[in-house]
Amino acid sequence: MISCGLLPRLRLAASPLKPGLLPTSKRSSYSHRPRCAAALESPDVARLADAARISLSPQEVEQFGPKIRQVVDWFGQLQAVDLESIEPSLRASTEAVSSPREDTPETFDNREAIIEAIPSYDDPYIKVPRVLNKD
Amino acid sequence: MALFIFRGFCANAIILIPKNGAFLHKIRPKRSQFEVQARRSGSTEARPAQKSSQMATRERQQQQLQGFEAIIGIETHVQLQTSTKAFCRCPYSYGSDPNTTICPVCMGLPGTLPVLNSRVVEFAVKLGLALNCEISMKSKFDRKQYFYPDLPKGYQISQFDIPIAKGGFLDVDLPVEFGGGHKKFGITRVHMEEDAGKLVHSDTGSFSQVDLNRAGVPLLEIVSEPDMRNGIEAAEYASELQRVVRYVGVSNGNMQEGSLRCDVNVSVRPGGQQEFGTKVEIKNMNSFSAMNKAIDYEINRQILLHKQGQANQIVQETRLWDDATQKTFTMRKKEGLADYRYFPEPDLPEVVLTDEYVDQIRKSLPELPEAKRRRYENMGLTMQDVLFLANDDDVCDYFDSCIQNGAEAKLAANWIMGDIAAYLKNEKVSIKEIKLTPKELAELISSIKNGTISGKIGKEILNELICKGGTVQGLILEKDLVQIVDPAAIEALVDGVIAENPKQLEQYRSGRTKLQGFFAGQVMKKSKGKANPVLLTKILQEKLNAGN
Repeated sequence: MISCGLLPRLRLAASPLKPGLLPTSKRSSYSHRPRCAAALESPDVARLADAARISLSPQEVEQFGPKIRQVVDWFGQLQAVDLESIEPSLRASTEAVSSPREDTPETFDNREAIIEAIPSYDDPYIKVPRVLNKD
Repeated sequence: MALFIFRGFCANAIILIPKNGAFLHKIRPKRSQFEVQARRSGSTEARPAQKSSQMATRERQQQQLQGFEAIIGIETHVQLQTSTKAFCRCPYSYGSDPNTTICPVCMGLPGTLPVLNSRVVEFAVKLGLALNCEISMKSKFDRKQYFYPDLPKGYQISQFDIPIAKGGFLDVDLPVEFGGGHKKFGITRVHMEEDAGKLVHSDTGSFSQVDLNRAGVPLLEIVSEPDMRNGIEAAEYASELQRVVRYVGVSNGNMQEGSLRCDVNVSVRPGGQQEFGTKVEIKNMNSFSAMNKAIDYEINRQILLHKQGQANQIVQETRLWDDATQKTFTMRKKEGLADYRYFPEPDLPEVVLTDEYVDQIRKSLPELPEAKRRRYENMGLTMQDVLFLANDDDVCDYFDSCIQNGAEAKLAANWIMGDIAAYLKNEKVSIKEIKLTPKELAELISSIKNGTISGKIGKEILNELICKGGTVQGLILEKDLVQIVDPAAIEALVDGVIAENPKQLEQYRSGRTKLQGFFAGQVMKKSKGKANPVLLTKILQEKLNAGN
């Protein structure tokens, strides 16, 4: 789920799980997720860079391709874990915290430092290039 | 990114459990749906004049549609009235100086972590239940990623595939003047998310200005099913939603301040066609009437294009409503689906609710507008009265309190909707601010009913009671307002007036019987308005005609 969400256009391949990589206590994940054995598509680095608003040179695109694939492969190892008998969980840990935050305000006392760090501040606003369109 | 994921593995779940006494608010019986439905069938009453305007409205709508059907769905963002933001302790109040209620968390500075405000979950469950939704006992937050200067983190914390509530509905009574009728609109989902900052576009200059006070303020997004068919239905859906958020106290629902914002999706299809037409999104409507007009404008624009064979000119886009020109215009065309690359928010644990927690909130819910309307309808009030009273929960509380103090429903409704409403409107105050208590209004009504004072005197002292307070009994004694019901006393007054006006008496007796009004007025004046009008008329007539 997590890695598919990160890089939605990439499909994960199953690869053998290295012994000892996952402690058994942490083996909670989605049992309904098909363990895909299909070959991994190459990451579309140009598209990913565009989505992240990062400019990459053609050489960098070449360099990043295999690196990204390596990360995805690494997650792919998780696909080999047998989860047939395990109840799906939304998150990895369900250890309870019994006291969520109360709704009592507290003013941050070093606002000056935040304002100071804004690259282009036009009191009292943050100044940004003119934008009218979201997409 | 991988680092975030590992932090996610360490995150714990927030389990919300009730604290003793935390939800001991008003406990009111929940309405029975079945009863409501059964009662409805025999209760559609409308005066003849209204009926003809209903027909006219319906006919006009039919004519305008010209064989086409409009499909409308609404996404509503409601700003929650919590004391702090959703994921940090910054206070938020509308109208603060720009960039003053900010901290490293809502500024999206590196190294900060969000911590969920428990009140946001409480409010989400409250609204979910009020909208008859199924509550997800486990839900989670997700990141919706896009780049825009009002979004400091580069993503919005929202809920994607598992919203906190889903599958509900909202009951709406359409206004009598627009044809009336009862409708049920589906609610697809309710989810929690954070607001973005505010972007100010300078008129001149090549830059925009950002105020991040609003960044991180908690919102609930309510998505409707595409169940609305025209502007009125959509506007009434939104206005019912506003009533509900106000009744349950999760938001002030103020449209002008942007605490309640509606994005409307409109499409049109030829009658009988199964698939939906291309949908167009409309934004920027800051009142219900603007919503109604914007939607009807958009429906007509699309029908016209269909009829001219230019249906392909209807494209998926966002249009803005311009109040000045009463038109919608293109803001941006959508090229394919936006790719928000949602993924589970690794910095926040899942939200786990217990049955006990949900039950406590359910019990704490006040009587909702729909239940109020059905109850008032059952008291024998007309739909117009019902809609007026149930529109505002402060007015409801006032009215209910009058009834509890023994006032007759129809009479209390008349006073509230008439003289009191007029005063509230003129003075721009809320019903909670007036000095006339519901108990005294009930007293006023019964004093008139049992003949202690006349209706006219009642009206006269109402204003004083509203402005200065005091008791009806006190005022009656102080001003010596008790109605004169002793026939002998009235007879004496009548005799006096007749004796003082021999000329008019002569004219009356020679045929100008209209002069009876003159005599009645004189007697009333002499009695300082206290003479019982029925007795007065009876005695006066006897005396005037006695000489014939």
